[in-house]
Amino acid sequence: MKYLKAFLSVLSILYLIYGILQFYNGVISWWIRENAITIQLGIRVGNTYIPNIFPEPFSGICLIVIGFVFMKSLYLYCRGDYRYKGFLFIGWMLSLMMLALNIIVLLADVLDAYYPAILGGEISGWTLESDPWGIAPHSILGLIALPLYYEVRDMIKELIPG
Amino acid sequence: MKLKFIKVALAGNPNVGKSVIFNKLTGARQHIGNWPGKTIDKKEGFHRVDGRELYIVDLPGTYSLTAFSVEEVIARDYIIYEKPDVVVDIVDASNLERNLYLTLQLIELGVNIVIALNKMDLARKEKIEINVDELSKELKVPVVPTIAPKGYGLDRLVREIVNMAESRVRPEYIEYPGVEDYIRELSKYIENTELARVFNPRWLAIKLLENDEDVIKKISGFEDSKYILEKAGEIRKRMEERFGDAEVAIANARYEVIRRIISKTVKAVRKITASDLIDQAVLDRYLGIPILFVILWWMFQFAFTISAPFSDFLGDLFAYIAGILAGLTGYPYIDYLFFGDYGIIQGLGAVLSFVPLIMALFFVLALFEDSGYMARAAFVMDRPLRKLGLSGRAIIPMIIGIGCNVPAVYSARVIPDERDRLIAIITNPFIMCSARLVFFSAIAYAFFREYAGDVILSLYLLGYLLVFVTAIILKKTIFRGVEAPFIIEFPAYQKPSFRVAVVRMWDRASLFFRKAGTIILIGLLVIGILAITDVSTLSFTSNPENSLVALIGRSLQPLFKPLNWDWRLIVAAIFGFVAKEIVLGANAMLYGVSESEIAVKMSKLYTPIDVLGYMIFIQLYIPCIATLAAVRHESGSWKWTLFTVLYGIAIAYILNFIVVSVGHLVFG
Repeated sequence: MKYLKAFLSVLSILYLIYGILQFYNGVISWWIRENAITIQLGIRVGNTYIPNIFPEPFSGICLIVIGFVFMKSLYLYCRGDYRYKGFLFIGWMLSLMMLALNIIVLLADVLDAYYPAILGGEISGWTLESDPWGIAPHSILGLIALPLYYEVRDMIKELIPG
Repeated sequence: MKLKFIKVALAGNPNVGKSVIFNKLTGARQHIGNWPGKTIDKKEGFHRVDGRELYIVDLPGTYSLTAFSVEEVIARDYIIYEKPDVVVDIVDASNLERNLYLTLQLIELGVNIVIALNKMDLARKEKIEINVDELSKELKVPVVPTIAPKGYGLDRLVREIVNMAESRVRPEYIEYPGVEDYIRELSKYIENTELARVFNPRWLAIKLLENDEDVIKKISGFEDSKYILEKAGEIRKRMEERFGDAEVAIANARYEVIRRIISKTVKAVRKITASDLIDQAVLDRYLGIPILFVILWWMFQFAFTISAPFSDFLGDLFAYIAGILAGLTGYPYIDYLFFGDYGIIQGLGAVLSFVPLIMALFFVLALFEDSGYMARAAFVMDRPLRKLGLSGRAIIPMIIGIGCNVPAVYSARVIPDERDRLIAIITNPFIMCSARLVFFSAIAYAFFREYAGDVILSLYLLGYLLVFVTAIILKKTIFRGVEAPFIIEFPAYQKPSFRVAVVRMWDRASLFFRKAGTIILIGLLVIGILAITDVSTLSFTSNPENSLVALIGRSLQPLFKPLNWDWRLIVAAIFGFVAKEIVLGANAMLYGVSESEIAVKMSKLYTPIDVLGYMIFIQLYIPCIATLAAVRHESGSWKWTLFTVLYGIAIAYILNFIVVSVGHLVFG
């Protein structure tokens, strides 16, 4: 019980922090000035960061919303309200969707970089550093949220019998 | 008596498993078209049993048979005028109380009914026990328990359909407490008139007492209609003296019957399900809309990301083919027309590059719809959007439109009400798609520097503002009328079916190929001919300055003089009709510079105010040819397609003129 409270607290705060940073990076890059200096909060690997907070305000809002969903789940859980599970399930699902999206983006970017070879065109090539998304907070936070499966598995079994 | 051909109609509320039963019964022997004059799917198919052919029509899902929505009118008219031998009413066993309202209205029609009590597995899971025999006795019709996805009960259902069609037993009706005497009195008058030959007298009496405008219109051509309407008016007046409102009194009587039936047949112990828990979050007062935003953003990113390499590949492939075939015929006119930079092959490539995006968007939309979430999305958005003249479900085309207006227009099919759907379709081209962004982002920085982002954001907002303003105006003028009550069922969440999503994805893509393809080809051909035909000799020219399209641009120049345009901007806008990305390339070609130099070139010729006006025009004027084809197909009308074009051009011109006039007045 204590572990779930601690886990949800950390997870919701991480989502909020990365969401706010990504929103900030997006706003200053998109609307304030070109070549703006963005903020990163991660480990530097070559010319990129893990996680890479790429500038996209709407993506930032999404991370903030997931943070609030986990926070609401934590609030209800602390009050002993059974409804916490609904919020936990939705937060967990959204986390997984973001993780999956990051993987799909990387695969699509690789495909986009190499398909011109089929038509004999020039290949621009792909590296993790050159990818606009890279390993985004979506992946890292999605992976951190994975163990919540054990909290929602009874709901999953009810929705997908067998 | 054995019948060789039996006409069957499937009726029922939305999400009761009607389509699953239809697919199970008809298999591959089915055809999907549109109901005459409507853009609502009409599914029909055949099922063979013991030498009999069952012709099955899947009626649109409705909650009642009043005339609030097109779906209700279609379902009702089909039963009245096409007179099916049997109507199969598919009822959700886990939500019997709500489903019985439609059942009673079907019984009122005096047709042969068999009830398929579907989703029995779900009812059992929710600890709902139904006494099927008692239910059949109360409703006076056969009731067959079914679990459609597993095929359970379907053989018995077919046997009951055949028995019902061949038995020729006169259907019985259920008396409505309190109002039955009034209904009977009016029925007797109707029985002695010509109206009784077309309509069931008891049903007609109920409808006239409810003051159903659609039914009153339908009987107006009959000889005795005036006399019957007078009698109905008299009886209704007496009912109003007693009950207050006749329509409400009849509805209350139906609910009383339903309560009585439920109390005799259903025993339920309701427990909290996973769906209930999930709904706590997705329907939350504060987090419901933000969660919807996250899901829509995700869908959008998924579809655009996954389709991008395939779209790029298709565009490049057609350019590659055009490059290989260039000079093939030896006739410059034909070579340019088909294989030139703005020729048919490359144009087709630009248009076909939409197909992966359409497929990806509809695949992911179908997954969410099948999971049960979309009904909740419509619910949380209905209140805010309703105030702005739009339906809750309009949020889907509004978001998809940011990426591309073509799939956005097709996605408007999720809106059940025809008026709401039409409004969503004809206002969607105002939403800035990514193609328009290509031109805007290329020139914005050169003119507006650090404010470039703000200018582009304001164009987005302008588009949405016009969607709302247009929707409100249309709702208060052309689409004025009684608002259909917003009733939506929340189906239990389930694992979405991959197969269903693939089928829907393919349906949309093939629709785009078949319908849009013809219009797009003709459009490309016309623009191609105009661009390569020399204005003086009517022979081939590779110089667009001498072409017919330049002549059109120059002829239109006086009209665009107040906007400070020269003919090249007009021609580029005409090219933009093929695909909005082309506006950039066409301007570059006409000004004799590369695409990267066009912003600098234009900054020497135009002021930022002139360019802002031009950007507003490009943002709002005529949709691209693929979007227009989608509008034509989905609205089902050339009138609304033409309206979309003319209204867009008029708004674009007026706003451009205001920006240029006021801007120059203020800033010089």
